[in-house]
Amino acid sequence: MTAYVTRVRRDIDRWQQNGLIDATTSDALRADVATQGAARFSFGSVLSMMAAALFSAAILIFIAANWEEIPRLARVAMLFALILGGYAGGAMLKLRDHPAFGEAAWIVAATAFGASIALIGQMYHLSGDEKQAILVWGAGTALAAAALRSAPLTVGSVLLGVAWMLLYSLERWSAYDLPLSYPLIALVLYGLSFWTESRVSRVLLILSVFLFAFILYWQHETVLVPIWLGLASAALFGVARLWPVEAERYLGLGSELMILGLLGFLVAVGIVQIDLIDEPGFLIPSIIAFAGIIAALLLGGAHNSRLRQLAYAAFIFQLGFIYVVMLGSMLDTAGFFVVGGAVLSLLAWLITRLERRFAADAAQTSGDAS
Amino acid sequence: MIPRRLLLPIALGVALLQIGVLVFMIASRAAILRTGTEVTLQVEPVDPRDLLRGDYVVLGTNISRIPAAILTETPQGDGAASEQTIFVRLKADGDGIWQAVAARYDAPPATAALAGEVDIRGTTHRLWSSQTEFIDVLYGIERFYVPEGEGRDIERNLTTRAFTMKVSVNANGAAQIKSFYDGATLLYAEPIY
Repeated sequence: MTAYVTRVRRDIDRWQQNGLIDATTSDALRADVATQGAARFSFGSVLSMMAAALFSAAILIFIAANWEEIPRLARVAMLFALILGGYAGGAMLKLRDHPAFGEAAWIVAATAFGASIALIGQMYHLSGDEKQAILVWGAGTALAAAALRSAPLTVGSVLLGVAWMLLYSLERWSAYDLPLSYPLIALVLYGLSFWTESRVSRVLLILSVFLFAFILYWQHETVLVPIWLGLASAALFGVARLWPVEAERYLGLGSELMILGLLGFLVAVGIVQIDLIDEPGFLIPSIIAFAGIIAALLLGGAHNSRLRQLAYAAFIFQLGFIYVVMLGSMLDTAGFFVVGGAVLSLLAWLITRLERRFAADAAQTSGDAS
Repeated sequence: MIPRRLLLPIALGVALLQIGVLVFMIASRAAILRTGTEVTLQVEPVDPRDLLRGDYVVLGTNISRIPAAILTETPQGDGAASEQTIFVRLKADGDGIWQAVAARYDAPPATAALAGEVDIRGTTHRLWSSQTEFIDVLYGIERFYVPEGEGRDIERNLTTRAFTMKVSVNANGAAQIKSFYDGATLLYAEPIY
């Protein structure tokens, strides 16, 4: 049972006890929560996806083994049959109301497409074009996702896109070459994810952009990259806070948007911190990191428990990180933490006072109303 | 949602499209094997300790590293930092092994290839400078896939005996391994499909 369901049930109990809702309403609400909660997570669909992943891995490994007992033309024919059978069979399963099995069959078909590309590489001893192979595979999968409106296939194409980006940047590490077309690919896939209603794809794409920025920094060693990343992340957070309706319509990330904004900010600040390690300037990004974490907590923490958890974790991580980095001068670290502690105490005192005043105002207003 | 009556036709269309792409890939590779000029190259071990990675043998040939002196045009400046196309002209020597006789960045050497010569296309990663003596070139034929477990024998023998391979090169310079020899003995010959 999800945490949300447990919490809502507790709230319903309380509302009933306080006489806010009658027994019939509360029973109806409980029933609704029970069915909706179950619909959110289905073991059947998860297990069928796991089965699809196992089948897919088996196909790829079988092709990699280059088994000579089956002539390679027969292997090609087998894969073609899998592609045809997977897509058509998946469509039939969907039409007969087995959507999870249908999606799983499509995943197997998309894998067979990738395995065929690998087999052709093997048949003709192609070397050095894994990048292109992954790109073709990813494009084929994205096309299938768009045509069939499949969320799992969209996730697959996003993962292949990320693999392409990583392969490209790692292979040409020395050549200062980055797949600058990746942001464009990410943008196209982001658009696709709205059509296929795949929120997971959107989260993965945003995360992959963070990774891209990190590699970009690593290759060029310019602090401009994390600064832009930090500003963009802060802007995302601000959009999520100020215009939640528009943010949901155009970015479609819900409560994840604030978390991703904070995460991007933390990645950016972390890069600058690593860049300035053992330099006097190290304190500046550290102060910005703390300020950003506190700001995220104050602005968005009230209604977002996962954001709070990330902020707490980042806070603790920063404490440890700064301590380790500044170990050479313990007195400085201690001094920094004393000042930080004093600032936080002051902030805590102010906020407590404000919260009390708000609470008092609210109580008075409701008292006037009754 | 996709309308129900359209789902199956769309799924079939996706499958046929993907299969079509694959058939095209096979056909273009087979065309190189069928129509290309056949050249024989000496196989050289790349790294005697780690030839076999997974199910293929990593190979070098006698044209993997070409002397910068055979460039028909000296590149201007420091050269581009990224991957560059290079065309290498090959000609058979007295032993029937094809050797690099001329090379040019971005395009085949200006003079047309004579009979018995062929231009092969490769890529190079190396930065150019006036001190450059050799250029490392990749032709897309640096890998030979073998059935699982058979790579070790080749790996062992490659350091002790002369291996050669026949490569098919088409009019655009694209290369494709055709067969693999241990001395005069044919080890593997690739069918067109």
